Amino acid sequence: MTYFILFMGLCFLLGSLSVASNPSPHYGVLGLVVGSVMGCGWLVSLGASFLALVLFMVYLGGMLVVFVYSVALAADPFPEAWDSWGVFSYGLGMVGVLIFGVVLGEVWKCLGVDVMTVDSIGTASVRFDFGGVAMFYSCGVGLFLMSGWGLLLTLFVVLELVRGLSRGAIRAV
Amino acid sequence: MSFHHLCFYSAFSLSTLGLAFHRAHLVSALLCLESMMLSMYISLSIWPVENHTTPLTIIPMLMLTFSACEAGTGLATLVASTRTHGSDHLHNLNLLQC
Repeated sequence: MTYFILFMGLCFLLGSLSVASNPSPHYGVLGLVVGSVMGCGWLVSLGASFLALVLFMVYLGGMLVVFVYSVALAADPFPEAWDSWGVFSYGLGMVGVLIFGVVLGEVWKCLGVDVMTVDSIGTASVRFDFGGVAMFYSCGVGLFLMSGWGLLLTLFVVLELVRGLSRGAIRAV
Repeated sequence: MSFHHLCFYSAFSLSTLGLAFHRAHLVSALLCLESMMLSMYISLSIWPVENHTTPLTIIPMLMLTFSACEAGTGLATLVASTRTHGSDHLHNLNLLQC
């Protein structure tokens, strides 16, 4: 089970690598979807199930869907695929930088595979992350209201950025 | 360093490298930014799990909120540049080039 959790962490890393060395934004979004699915599974295995669900619904179901159709708007109609040598060398170069850092910092000498989950010290009547997020409404109500206000402000920011009638240029998209 | 920490730390580093070296499209830079936010969310979620401090589970949700704001603003910038220049290719954004 420990190795399954670590495998999901490794797949998360591979998803991030495919976003970084994407041949075309279509494949970058695919890597981001794979990375967020693996990250969600990683969090569920550690016991933080509410945070994993929030990641799935808000990030994957909200933000990545918007990214997918924005990529469909903005990217090439005939995208380059993974089988080009330029992309492969980019990915290899980034992994090389990573390995260089790991070797230079001597991280590989002290890598541990122990996993600490929410149930490592015993269970509670209220689950770990449910009880923590519920403090959003009691002690952290100022944070809650500030983030809600920030979201509302973002709506108006987006509206002003894409307004094209009297300011800016409008084209047939 | 445990293997978990190495995973999200190197995912963040790879995404930063991808942001620095994004090649043709503006949207691939935005995707790398989103990947940085995802790895930060995972790390902020794993940290209270390891230290068993319950109130700190608010922090990844707060970070996700502001990351959603930033993603929306970035995509609005992308749409504005696509409307003006016809595509989001970076070599078209050369208005200030002499």
